[in-house]
Amino acid sequence: MPPRQQTDALRGSLDLLILKTLSLSPMHGWGISQRVQQLSKGVLEVNQGSLYPALQRLEKEGLVTSDWDTSDNNRRARYYKLTATGRRALGVELENWRRFAAGLESVLAVS
Amino acid sequence: MTWFHAARARLRLLARRDAESRIDEEIRFHIEMETQRLVREQSLPHDEAQRRALATFGGVQQHREALREGRGTAWFNGMSLDLKLGARMLVKYPALTVVGGLAMAFGIWFGAVTFHMAGLVTSPKLPLPDGDRIVKIQNWDAKTLKEEKRVLYDYQFWRTARSITDVGAYRNASVNLVGADRPAQPAVAAEITASAFRIAPERPLLGRVLDESDERAGAPAVVLLGHDVWTTRFDSDPQIVGRNVQLGDRFVTVVGVMPDGYAFPVAHELWLPLRTDVAGVEPRRGAEITVFGRLASGTTLENAQAELQSLGRRLAAEHPATHATLQPHVIHYAKFGMESIDASVMMALTYVFLVAFVMMVCSTVALLLFARAAARETEILVRSALGASRRRIVAQLFAEALVLAGLAAMIGLLAAQGTLTRWGAPYLELNYGRLPFWYDFDLSLRTIVCALSLAVISAVVAGVMPARKITRGLGTQLRAGTAGGGVSFGGIWTAVIVAQIALTVSLPSVVMLARSEVNRIASFDAGFPTPEFLAVTLGIDGPLQETLTDQARIALDARFRDALESLRQRVEAEPGVTGVTFVDRLPGESHVYWRLHEVTVPETKARWVTTATIHPSYFDVLQAPMIEGRAFTSADLSPEARVVIVDQGFADRVAPGRNLLGHHVRLSIAEGADSNVVQLPWYEIVGVVKELGMQSAASARRVAGVYLPFVPGSQRSVKMIVHGRGNPLAMAPRVRELAMGVDAALQLDQVMRLDQVVIPELWMHRVWMRIIIGLTAVALLLSLSGIYAVLAYTVARRTREIGVRVALGAGPRRVITSIFRRPLIQVSLGVIGGGVIIAVAAIGVQNSARFSGTGTGGLTLGDIPLLLGYTILMFGVCTLACVVPTLRALRVQPTEAMRAE
Repeated sequence: MPPRQQTDALRGSLDLLILKTLSLSPMHGWGISQRVQQLSKGVLEVNQGSLYPALQRLEKEGLVTSDWDTSDNNRRARYYKLTATGRRALGVELENWRRFAAGLESVLAVS
Repeated sequence: MTWFHAARARLRLLARRDAESRIDEEIRFHIEMETQRLVREQSLPHDEAQRRALATFGGVQQHREALREGRGTAWFNGMSLDLKLGARMLVKYPALTVVGGLAMAFGIWFGAVTFHMAGLVTSPKLPLPDGDRIVKIQNWDAKTLKEEKRVLYDYQFWRTARSITDVGAYRNASVNLVGADRPAQPAVAAEITASAFRIAPERPLLGRVLDESDERAGAPAVVLLGHDVWTTRFDSDPQIVGRNVQLGDRFVTVVGVMPDGYAFPVAHELWLPLRTDVAGVEPRRGAEITVFGRLASGTTLENAQAELQSLGRRLAAEHPATHATLQPHVIHYAKFGMESIDASVMMALTYVFLVAFVMMVCSTVALLLFARAAARETEILVRSALGASRRRIVAQLFAEALVLAGLAAMIGLLAAQGTLTRWGAPYLELNYGRLPFWYDFDLSLRTIVCALSLAVISAVVAGVMPARKITRGLGTQLRAGTAGGGVSFGGIWTAVIVAQIALTVSLPSVVMLARSEVNRIASFDAGFPTPEFLAVTLGIDGPLQETLTDQARIALDARFRDALESLRQRVEAEPGVTGVTFVDRLPGESHVYWRLHEVTVPETKARWVTTATIHPSYFDVLQAPMIEGRAFTSADLSPEARVVIVDQGFADRVAPGRNLLGHHVRLSIAEGADSNVVQLPWYEIVGVVKELGMQSAASARRVAGVYLPFVPGSQRSVKMIVHGRGNPLAMAPRVRELAMGVDAALQLDQVMRLDQVVIPELWMHRVWMRIIIGLTAVALLLSLSGIYAVLAYTVARRTREIGVRVALGAGPRRVITSIFRRPLIQVSLGVIGGGVIIAVAAIGVQNSARFSGTGTGGLTLGDIPLLLGYTILMFGVCTLACVVPTLRALRVQPTEAMRAE
């Protein structure tokens, strides 16, 4: 697989959040948005509408896969799952993000 | 596996309906979950919670669009918009729609008809189960390079082949079938083995099909009827099975009736058992049969070929005298000796030709669309300025052409279907007789795909080419802030217009030629009043077993001879009948050519002459008195008599101005070597008669005719000519009755008035004439619209210039001259080109007419003023195409022209 193109920080972070959330367990779209909010203790709020185009993009790239399943309240829902490639990509993205955050932090730390 | 997941995801996303419903369901689920959370956590009423959930989600429609775009189907929506716009353009420019659509439809119609007809011949498809595995086995003689059809002996061996199952055989047998209360009429029958009904299985409508027990020696004689025969000859009698019907002079029991459309093995309407176990059949003797079978499962044609060849070698070793040069070949059943031609190559070549043809036709449509696109240049510039890429604009113009092409494809395909059923099938039938059952004149999927691909090519030629040209340098124009100036017509389009005008000018002379041919054939003069005569083709049933021995053959000949003489006497005795005679070829039919090697008149050369064998009463019945000498007498029928009668054409062409009576000629049916000529017998010329149509009505050449005495029984098929008072066709039923009374095996075919001989020729020439008239109309339409488009475009482009000229005081004459020059040159070139084509063709026709010795060429002097008039008319019509744009130019007001900029 060719290396993923560098994305802008915002889109990159949304992809990262999705991949990370899905690495914990397969989840439907609404669940992902709730989990992000919950894990970030309400700090990060995913724009719910833009979540789906991002999921579609990741699916086209083969990082996640999706299937219909039954939700906790017994409804039919589309569940997204990380693929092996997605798991590897998560590692790379995490590494990138940490480097980026560290860089940002060093710049901001200069008083 | 990433690629797999990704590919699967992409495929699923591309399935539009699935993807759409998935998006809807996901969004719905999301909103509902969020609503429930808000109700649960914030105790909001449901409606309020739902409103907030929707607000948090953001614009549903917008996200849906983003998802669609992500799926990669946005272009599809863009395309559908372009197509809608294209449809609107068709309504907005009706003239262009009609002209361009008709031109494209013509191209597609021509393409579909040609492709379908080519497909029928080169790659036929058998509409039978496993049709492509059904084969024919033929014996090819490597020495004569011909098929050896006397394979009854070999057939017994071929049946042992393991690679071919259900091996069977058939033999064509024209039989005289006596219907219920009807006189006998010939029917196309097949003597066929029972395995045929396993190769082409079909449940009979009534009774049963033939089976192996019917083929055994001593089995009762049976027949299986086809649907047509059952309905037309037996009034669809439901009790027909088990009844005895008369076939020639024997009675056979009907065992069944086949359903409508069943015509296996080729185009048959009646089936009789074929006995192949005839005792004592010798190699390369016996009846001519066709052998068929089905490739065994898991076997290829090559395997079967190899096995048959090894069988062939065995036979050659056992019977070197007869089989040394014979080699069995296995070929696909529906092919007629065309195995050497690669069907796919033929079809590919046909397709390439059609693509070239459609591109040529569509180049004018391209011109029209180009002129329109050029007129819309400002719109295109604005779109480009608003961010539309060049690709996007080209796609829009392509979509517009595609809509037009789609419409044209529909019309073209409908017309093609009409043409194939109305003219295609009768055309082939006239040329080749009854057509095989697998000839399907309903448009096949292959033909439709071909036509649609031609439509797409039309759209590319007519849409993309002009679009690319017009969008070239858009950026420069945008920066310069001006519209126009960058686009002009290239030399190719000028050439196309000139060629079309030349074609338009020259085609009518071909129509005239065709018309004069039609008139000539219609007024074919056989030298006697043909409408007063009845013509009947007579033959006799010859069953398979009887044709085996020489004695049987002689007996059948004798029987035919007696039947003919007896029939002649009975018909002649009828009231109103004034004469009955026999001939091998009817006047107006094509005759057999013989080689005239020598004449005992000095300074004569060897040449080809047409011949007819006639009954001694021939000239009497045709009321053609001898010019010199005498007619044949019964004494001339003896083979030793060796006398001929020649016609006036012979006298004029072979030895003009000489008395030919008493001279001798040496004739042979083939050219032959000079050394053999001296061995040929001399025939004495005993009479000279006027010319009595000894050539095909379509042939324009004057022939030299030689009559030989007709020895009854020497031929298996003869023509009887009956002269009587009143309508000759009214005599036909009585003649049939008399024939039945004379010998039930006598077959009467092609019963017609003698002047009707020319009908098939006439029909074919008329079809051709219509096609050429259609071509002329299309060429005229295309060239006129081409001229119009160029001029309209020129005026539109030069509005400003014209305005300035008018403002500076230029008169209308100057304006007209300046814009008229180019189309004038094109029209003149085209007309001159057309004139040259006519002249060259006329000279060619004259030369060939002189060569063939006909007095008249295709075009007469009287036609020349007519053609000249037409050329002037064409010039005028072409100029008319310039009128509207010119008037538009003259109406240009300087102020408006400046404001337009």
